Amino acid sequence: MSSNHAKVAVGASKDSSFLGGRIPSEIEIMAKQLKDLDQEMFRKILKAVVSAIEGKDCREAMKAIAENAAVPEERLSYVVAGMYRLLKEALRIPTSSLKQEVFKEDLRELRIPEEFITDFASVVFGNRRTALEAVATQQGPRLPSLKDFRWRVDVAISTSSLARALQPSILMQMKLSDGKAHRFEVPVSKFQELRYNVALILKEMNDLEKRSVLNIQD
Amino acid sequence: MAAIITETQSIKEAVTSINTIELNKFSRLLSRILQKLHLKEERTFSEEEEQKLQSALSLDKQDLSLVLDTTAFILEQAVYHNVKPASLKQQLEKIHLSPEKAEAFCQAWTAVCPDVVEKVRQRIFAPKKLEHVGWQLNLQMAKSTQAKLKDPHAVLELGVRNEDSQSVVEKVFVEFSHQELLQFYNQLETVQAQLDSLT
Repeated sequence: MSSNHAKVAVGASKDSSFLGGRIPSEIEIMAKQLKDLDQEMFRKILKAVVSAIEGKDCREAMKAIAENAAVPEERLSYVVAGMYRLLKEALRIPTSSLKQEVFKEDLRELRIPEEFITDFASVVFGNRRTALEAVATQQGPRLPSLKDFRWRVDVAISTSSLARALQPSILMQMKLSDGKAHRFEVPVSKFQELRYNVALILKEMNDLEKRSVLNIQD
Repeated sequence: MAAIITETQSIKEAVTSINTIELNKFSRLLSRILQKLHLKEERTFSEEEEQKLQSALSLDKQDLSLVLDTTAFILEQAVYHNVKPASLKQQLEKIHLSPEKAEAFCQAWTAVCPDVVEKVRQRIFAPKKLEHVGWQLNLQMAKSTQAKLKDPHAVLELGVRNEDSQSVVEKVFVEFSHQELLQFYNQLETVQAQLDSLT
């Protein structure tokens, strides 16, 4: 009984790193591979990985790096995988929860060379951060969102059933982010219902943003 | 006011048949037809009901359908031209409908006229029509790409009915962030401004 407790106590030396209780293997492997890597090469790879995270096509950059014989392909792949994972995990956590010093400490624990730690920190905490966060917001599971909204107000002057109709109606066209387009007609009464409901949701959103439920401590 | 009904041969025949029907029965017939007038596709009476009517009104099948069609036609024309009850009565007497029947038409028409006209006016025919609006407001706490969020998200469910498939309503789901919803709302406000400028 007591020996089990002892084992557990030894394992938990401090609060776990921002990477969680168990460091992902690709990061551990990368840490080892970074030892004799020259900084210029490191920075090239880092740049490519960051643009990949931003969603840009970095195949050209990666090819250029791979062709440079200085780094064998296997080693390159470990470094790239580790960097990608490290940055993704760090960017996931808002800056209010993960402070730069703690981040650097955690990287020191992994025995990553100091200059590289500074470079990593400048990506995670530097001015590129907002752009990277914007990409993360767009990704992730989502229902289709409204890409394009067009509308038209028509007045039916006369129909086959009514010589003098003078009835307005609305035609809406919605193009969604999944590529589908929906075109449908909206009777005026339904339009009012739609407008009322949207206003109601906005009001509820405003209330929600003020309420104490948002004081959930991080 | 221009005549809404011209006295054709079939109208003459129909009128003759109508004049033979008992007044009470005819009034009830009128109300029933008026109820269903704004519905395009439905038959006013089922097969069974038509059979019963034949015996109740002592008319054979052909005469009965002539009577029903003519009565419906007169009412549809009344809707189309939005005639006043007095004018309607005059026109009916002109085609030799008995005064009591003309009066019955007049009374039934006065009772329901504005409603029927309004319902017919509201009828839009479009391939797809928005029928139902539902929504859900969620607070997103985290996702695989971001931890520790407190992001309100709304999902709008729009029920769109296809003109040809009476029972199937297609559900369109659209998700909005706060910002996106605000944008959408502003667009709806613009539409409203246009509607307001019409009146």
